[in-house]
Amino acid sequence: MIKSEVLIIDDEIEFASTLCQRLKLRGVAAVDVHSGTEGIASLTKMNLGIVLLDLKMPDMNGLDVLKKIIEYDPSIEVIMLTGHGSSDSGVEAKEKGAFDYVMKPLDITELMDIIESADNKRCKEQVSYGCKNGK
Amino acid sequence: MDAKTENNLRREHIDSFGRLMAGLAHDMKNHLSIIRESNGLMADIIAMGTLGEDPTMVERLQKSIAAIERRVVISANMMHHLSGLAHRSDTPYSSFLINDLIEEEHIFLERFSRLQQIEIELELGEGLPAVYSEPSLLQYILHRVYSQCLEQLDSGQRLAIITETATKGVMITFRLYGNSQINFEQFSSATLPIAIQKLKGTLEMGKNSPEYSDIVFTIPSLSDKE
Repeated sequence: MIKSEVLIIDDEIEFASTLCQRLKLRGVAAVDVHSGTEGIASLTKMNLGIVLLDLKMPDMNGLDVLKKIIEYDPSIEVIMLTGHGSSDSGVEAKEKGAFDYVMKPLDITELMDIIESADNKRCKEQVSYGCKNGK
Repeated sequence: MDAKTENNLRREHIDSFGRLMAGLAHDMKNHLSIIRESNGLMADIIAMGTLGEDPTMVERLQKSIAAIERRVVISANMMHHLSGLAHRSDTPYSSFLINDLIEEEHIFLERFSRLQQIEIELELGEGLPAVYSEPSLLQYILHRVYSQCLEQLDSGQRLAIITETATKGVMITFRLYGNSQINFEQFSSATLPIAIQKLKGTLEMGKNSPEYSDIVFTIPSLSDKE
């Protein structure tokens, strides 16, 4: 079971909200927002553990949002969502501190595996209060 | 217009097409993402068993959902390669794997081979060295040779593409089965030999067996100074 709360930041509203519903059906506490600015504002409002972050958004570049998230709380695990033709941008994001990246369109099984790995990492490092409290 | 200006104009022309194609491929992936998630959500809802007990209807819906999923995966793979192709001229010289380019070309030309009913076999060697060269020009060469091979074959015939390690590079063999009358001159016409020469490659042709003819393209790994 995924213990961390998950925030989806993607400007494609239909994509983000549908993905959010699918994660909820799998027992994940997920919320979706639709811009980098909204995403950064949400950091303080949630007991957040994992962020699914689109690489390209109109208001802010995903890499800039990644930087802000790490500055706010380095224990938050960020999984980049990329629609690029090569994996270069995903690799660059990992070098800049992202946990991992997945290519769009997503394979939900692959995504759940990555979310689970990120959640396990947080639990092992005992950073998540939810994990410490056995929630 | 002098040759240099014309060359620059052509390069800018290709660059703008590349940017256009990359943007379209990216947008298409976004659309496919929404289709895939919506389709997945329908599958999730059916799996929850809230639609009722009619097993025939559930089975029909599941089949349709599976068909959409399959086609989305195929389309996304095509878009992924199209996006890669669009960005190819961003770096004039780079290190890359020949097998990746062959697989990409195979995806682009699969439709033509299917329409012509020509069977394609890929025999891609494992552990081939990465080649340092001009990927955009190499792609053009592979496209020309591959499509010329398809033109030389008829319905029911077969084309095998074999890659293996060569001295300081990689050897790609296009093996044409079933046609005893290959027109080798087709491979020496127009700009193809100039492109091959620019990459210091070679193209050799011959009927090496009663069953097949070979078109062998060898591409060396260039040094940074070349």
